[in-house]
Amino acid sequence: MANTNLPRRIIKETQRLLSEPAPGISASPSEDNMRYFNVMILGPTQSPFEGGVFKLELFLPEEYPMAAPKVRFLTKIYHPNIDKLGRICLDILKDKWSPALQIRTVLLSIQALLSAPNPDDPLSDNIAKHWKTNEAEAVETAKEWTRLYATGA
Amino acid sequence: MESDYDTQDASDTESMEDDFYSEETVVRDGEDEGEDEGKYGFSDNESDDSDVIVSERLQQNYTVLDETDIRQRQEDDIRSLSMVLSTSRVHACLLLRHFNWSVSKVHEEWFADEESVRRAVGLLGKQVEMPNVAELLCGICFEVHPRTAMSSAACGHPFCDSCWRGYIGTAVTNGPGCLMLRCPDPSCSAAIGQDMIDMLAIDEDKQKYSHYLLRSFIENNRKTKWCPAPGCEFAIDFVMGSGSYDVSCNCSHSFCWNCTEEAHRPVECSTVAKWILKNSAESENMNWILANSKPCPKCKRPIEKNQGCMHITCTPPCKHEFCWLCLGSWIEHGERTGGFYACNRYEAAKEEGVYDESERRREMAKNSLERYTHYYERWATNQRSRQKALAQLHNIQTEKLEKLSKIQCQPESQLKFIIEAMLQVVECRRVLKWTYAYGYYLPEHEHAKRQFFEYLQGEAEAGLERLHQCAEKELRVYLEAEVPMKEFADFRVKLAGLTSVTRNYFQNLVQALESGLEDVGPNRQTNSSKSSSSKNISSKNSPGNSPKSSTTTNNFDNYWYCERCTFANPSSNQACEMCEHRRH
Repeated sequence: MANTNLPRRIIKETQRLLSEPAPGISASPSEDNMRYFNVMILGPTQSPFEGGVFKLELFLPEEYPMAAPKVRFLTKIYHPNIDKLGRICLDILKDKWSPALQIRTVLLSIQALLSAPNPDDPLSDNIAKHWKTNEAEAVETAKEWTRLYATGA
Repeated sequence: MESDYDTQDASDTESMEDDFYSEETVVRDGEDEGEDEGKYGFSDNESDDSDVIVSERLQQNYTVLDETDIRQRQEDDIRSLSMVLSTSRVHACLLLRHFNWSVSKVHEEWFADEESVRRAVGLLGKQVEMPNVAELLCGICFEVHPRTAMSSAACGHPFCDSCWRGYIGTAVTNGPGCLMLRCPDPSCSAAIGQDMIDMLAIDEDKQKYSHYLLRSFIENNRKTKWCPAPGCEFAIDFVMGSGSYDVSCNCSHSFCWNCTEEAHRPVECSTVAKWILKNSAESENMNWILANSKPCPKCKRPIEKNQGCMHITCTPPCKHEFCWLCLGSWIEHGERTGGFYACNRYEAAKEEGVYDESERRREMAKNSLERYTHYYERWATNQRSRQKALAQLHNIQTEKLEKLSKIQCQPESQLKFIIEAMLQVVECRRVLKWTYAYGYYLPEHEHAKRQFFEYLQGEAEAGLERLHQCAEKELRVYLEAEVPMKEFADFRVKLAGLTSVTRNYFQNLVQALESGLEDVGPNRQTNSSKSSSSKNISSKNSPGNSPKSSTTTNNFDNYWYCERCTFANPSSNQACEMCEHRRH
């Protein structure tokens, strides 16, 4: 149902995501809804999330590409810009969205956010506080969570 | 009798010149007597009846603008700026919009640092053309289109016309933020001006954009505001720092420039705001908003915090960035205020008790419903009376005056005392109404002030009831049949007298409230040099002469009632204390 009148742009983006995936990122549309994507992002090397596989969901609203996609982490993650519901504090998903951005650029930005947490603009107060006061310990917790929740077990 | 009235009126005029409240009535005198029309500079107003109400003002400190005037002013500003900076009309418009339509601000910033202004506004130095090939890829729909079906801003980033239409449509639907539209390319900040909108958008969006641009000219300008009356499309240009905030729109709505609520002199804006909030039928909703949102410190729109981060960015066009905890500007935050997630300014203020909200709630709960109902009923009743009086005034102006003129064989110019009386009723109902909001917030423990206030209010109210009764009920007799000349002349004297007496009462009330009831006590001499009638009021307040004596006494033998204004005078007086009419 939802796949009728799927804009050509979404079809093209999907094809390209499947044929030339970005390194460390996979995104495939759900079978019954071409606007809903199952996403996996590998924890970047030299980050506390290294070795983890993080599942996300991505949904393209009716107004896409004029409105931003909706993205959320499904895997628990200890990160100052991601809250316990998996919501992400990222400007291009909000007021800085532009229709010239795309699924690929959004996912690459999220991957970059994993490499460079930004505790100065936090979504999760406690984690950000932890990160600022004792970064080493926070990084250890993030590694611990990665091991607990983001490794294939 | 006639000359008596005139001289009395003239002395009123003279004696109160330095008081703003009376200025208004003085003008009314001048106009309504029909003698010096144009003397006060209003002769250029259209003189149909409805304008009589609104154009009566000395030294008007504001101008009413209609859409044509606004567009004209906007166009003039844009054109002159584009000449001064030798830039295009579109660029001048974007610059003015960016600097909130302040021409001087644009000049200042532009000549100080043109480069950084250009960067901030998104004006590129020179036009970059789209790549000169037959077909181009659109960055939004990812389709290839012929170059002719594509457009770009000054930056040359090509998008197909259909995607432009959608991009502009989405921005326009999202609101006035569309006035700051940039190129869709995320790395590019080239501004999209009205020329692009007119070239690429659908008609509906073009109109909306143009409307937002017009609105912005009024709303982002510190000197102008829209008239808040429903459906009214006039705006008011106000001269800052010029005294009274009361303004009257051409739609006949009077409002306070400062808070845009209806005119509420002599009660302060903050009292009015509290009162209206309290009356709001949606007070439960308001409670929710109070409990769950904070107003943006810059634009005052309520903001609900629905995510974790304390860094709040208000929606465009405000875009103010602030800290949710202390409501201070975000720029001032950082390491030295305890980091971004723990605002020390807030913690410190909390310890000092600045944010003790439970205290405030308790205080609000203390006001019992009963007390509130008392004031509310009186406030609302005066509101309704005022509406009725306005309707009656209109009715008199449009038909009854003519009828009366025929029945009583009097020229209409001789009947203006009726209009004057009704105008006084309308104005007094408004003042009286707001004094009930004032009374509600006047602290219980300030007994002297309360007593004085209630005395003044009571006197004013009683005077107004007499006037309203006379203007409404007694007038009917004369509309039905011709009466002897003498009888009608008596009616004229009585109504004119009541009008002037009531005006005095209300002047006293307004002055007293505006001075915060400061002059409670025996030495209330402020008005003594201004008008004989207000001196009489102050003398009644002097010690040994109980303020209540004239209203509560049962000993009628010691009083005589003035024929003209019905004021109860001590038997020792030979002339009325109120209107100076002689005792018979």
